[in-house]
Amino acid sequence: MPSLFKRHPWRTLPVVAAALALIFAAGYFAEQRELQAKMDAVRQATAAHVLGLRGLVEKHDFLPHAAARHPDVQHLLQAPRDADLQARVNAYFADLQTTTGAAALFLIDREGLTIASSNWNLPSSFVGESYRQRPYFEDAIEGRRGLFFGLGLTTGQSGLFIAEPVRSGNTITGVMVVKISLDPLEQTWRHGANPVLLRDSRGVVFLSGVPEWLFQSAKPVSASDAAWIADHGQYGTRRRFDVLPWTIRVRDDVPGFVLRTSIDGRTRDYLALDTPLPGLDWTLTVAEDMREVREARRLALALGTLAVALLLLGVLYWRLRERRYAEQQSARVELEHRVEERTHDLQQAHAFRKAMEDSLLVGMRARDPEGKIIYVNPAFCAMIGYSPDELLGCRPPYPYWHPDDLEKQAKDSDDALNGRAAPHGFESRIRHKDGHDVLTMVYTAPLIDADGVHRGWMSSIVDITAQKQAEARQRDQELRLQRSARLASAGEMASTLAHELNQPLMALSNFALASRALAARGEAAMLTGALDDIVEQSRRASEIVKRVRAMINPQRADYATLVLGPVIDHVEALLKPELNGQGMLLRLMLEDPAIKVRGDKVLLEQVLVNLIHNAAQAMLDQPRHRRRIVLATCRVAQGVRISVSDQGPGVPPEQLEQIFAPFFTTKPDGLGLGLNICRTIVEAHGGAMTVANDADGGATFSFILPIVQ
Amino acid sequence: MKDSPLTLYVVDDDEALRRSLLLLLFSQGLAVQAFDSGEAFLEAVDPSQPGCLILDLRMGGMSGLAVFERLRAAHSPLVTVFLSGHGDIPMALEAVRSGAWDWVAKPDTQQLLDKLPAAIAEARARGHAGRLWEELTPREREVARLVGLGQPNKEIARVLVPPCGPRSVETHRANIFHKLQCANDNELGRWLAAYPWLR
Repeated sequence: MPSLFKRHPWRTLPVVAAALALIFAAGYFAEQRELQAKMDAVRQATAAHVLGLRGLVEKHDFLPHAAARHPDVQHLLQAPRDADLQARVNAYFADLQTTTGAAALFLIDREGLTIASSNWNLPSSFVGESYRQRPYFEDAIEGRRGLFFGLGLTTGQSGLFIAEPVRSGNTITGVMVVKISLDPLEQTWRHGANPVLLRDSRGVVFLSGVPEWLFQSAKPVSASDAAWIADHGQYGTRRRFDVLPWTIRVRDDVPGFVLRTSIDGRTRDYLALDTPLPGLDWTLTVAEDMREVREARRLALALGTLAVALLLLGVLYWRLRERRYAEQQSARVELEHRVEERTHDLQQAHAFRKAMEDSLLVGMRARDPEGKIIYVNPAFCAMIGYSPDELLGCRPPYPYWHPDDLEKQAKDSDDALNGRAAPHGFESRIRHKDGHDVLTMVYTAPLIDADGVHRGWMSSIVDITAQKQAEARQRDQELRLQRSARLASAGEMASTLAHELNQPLMALSNFALASRALAARGEAAMLTGALDDIVEQSRRASEIVKRVRAMINPQRADYATLVLGPVIDHVEALLKPELNGQGMLLRLMLEDPAIKVRGDKVLLEQVLVNLIHNAAQAMLDQPRHRRRIVLATCRVAQGVRISVSDQGPGVPPEQLEQIFAPFFTTKPDGLGLGLNICRTIVEAHGGAMTVANDADGGATFSFILPIVQ
Repeated sequence: MKDSPLTLYVVDDDEALRRSLLLLLFSQGLAVQAFDSGEAFLEAVDPSQPGCLILDLRMGGMSGLAVFERLRAAHSPLVTVFLSGHGDIPMALEAVRSGAWDWVAKPDTQQLLDKLPAAIAEARARGHAGRLWEELTPREREVARLVGLGQPNKEIARVLVPPCGPRSVETHRANIFHKLQCANDNELGRWLAAYPWLR
């Protein structure tokens, strides 16, 4: 927790200062308010006291004036020795005193002697006493109203003396005095909670709620004032007036002042207000205990402190919460981060797996033990043209099974599901969605999940269509190669030869012409290069010629004893696709397939292929039903006669003679070498080749070979 | 016109023949670019630029005819001279009928040298025509094509998108004649017929 503050000390300081300021402001404002209330109370109390005082004074104010008018009073002053009159006046005064509640009424003659008094019958009677040094007498005898507070010279009891001159015409004959006791007032004050006091014009306290303060002075009394007081016996024989035990502090914010004093041994603060009483020349001081103000301030301070403490606690709680929230937040973020990392790892792994699956060219298919497809990879989908949605959930028979192989497929599938699949895989022909066949190799392995439970079967399917096709193509190519290498018709060979030769010849010609130009320009180095090229191209041409010659040279023939039937069968097999394509029918009419001849198998096949080719080409313009070639053998005297007949237009009679001549051709791109080569081969075998037109159209080429027994 | 750059291409899959052609044409003062297959040629050369092409008919891979078909489909102004071997002559004739400039039967080098200048001149003419055509605004080209078809101004004004007045067609026409250096409609028609690949 302290760390909360330590973390930002520079930030905490103003907060503390502000909190303190707040507390003190609260205290101050509470104090002010209470002070104002107090002040109002003081004012009210003052007003009440003033009113009370005035009432008291005014109540008796008229009394001396009225009494002075009384004829008996007037008369008594004229005849002071008249005892009867004096008795009457005394009775009157006593009556007035009882009626009005004044302390005493008495009449003084011009000399200051009391000639009648309400207390004439009491031991403390004023009658006969001289009061000429009293200030009220002095005032009244001079025609003014006298007002004086002091201790009675006779009774020693304090009172307010109101004196009025008694006039007889224009002369003042005496002074009528009423003494009012302020004791009841003082008694009330003493019982009041707060001190009230009255000071005379010299600052001496003469009436006070607090008895200790009586006859003390707010400020030191000057010697002349003290003398005056003593002379006039205002406060008996007192000559010393101590300064009040007050510590006075004047406040700016309120009128009046604060006084600190000790009453009954307890130090107290009072809010006091001085009010001058104009008619009386007194000062009324009313004080109110400041305790409440202080308490209010204290309360406000306490409340402020409490509020601040609560606020602080709130802030601390909030910060704690914030921090806990932040911690939770960071924990959550960390968790999220970790989850994210984990997810990322998983995604990576997934992506890796997916990339692996996608890159596989091998189709993958997983099935549950009942044969329901539960997984396929893109390669498998691509292989068979179905989307994963179409495949997942399928049970045998699957849509891609080849309709012709349904039985085999079902058996293979069963075997695989029962764990009897061949470990080295089995071939399976399946049907692509678009209808073409796909040849595959299927390998099946049990699918074991992470818990080791056998969940089904995983098969990898390898598309071997291309491989199979390649194999087929290779076989096909081999066959074709064999045919073109060993059995190419002489015409084709010649055409190839011409084209092959054209290349070096053209190059030769180019180099030669270039050489001429280079020679003319004197470019010796380039000329040499060109000439080298000429030599090279000549060699190339001769190589080609040599190669062809080697191919058709009967001298290199490999003679052996041959059974004629298989040779002819082989030729038929070789040519059949081509003849079928052209709508030609090849019919064999072999008298005795077992006849043996001596010869080179390849060369004899070449002759037959060439003749059959020619026959087919001769019939290209014939209607379909006439496109028939007959290959026949029959024994003749010289051996066996082999003939190839067509139903074409036949050979024009004028060409019969020259048809075997070299470079004779009826074809637009022929070289005229085919038949010539054939005849050369036949003759090399000790035979002869002839041609004849048939009676029903068409031509027959035939040759005779000697028979080997 | 004589100074305009012209490229001569040789496409033949026979290395020796290709080299010999290069040397021959070089000795005649002609710069040549050679390719060993139609694919390589189509890959490297922008067919929309004029030039002269000596193209072997029979090649492994893409045949000469297929290359020519591709050029024709691209409306290429290239002038094509075929080299044909024995037996390919009908094919070569067919190619010439469908727009090839000429053909030469192997191994007649002299014939090639004889026919080449005309082919080169044609290529230059095509290049020049192409440049003139480029100077026309798209609007003028459209008008020129319509004029070449023999349409009257009024009809052209109606057919054009957006249509305009016959008078502005007249202005276009004058601009076209000036830019293509033609004197009249007939000449323009012939000019356009001679260069049908211009768009």
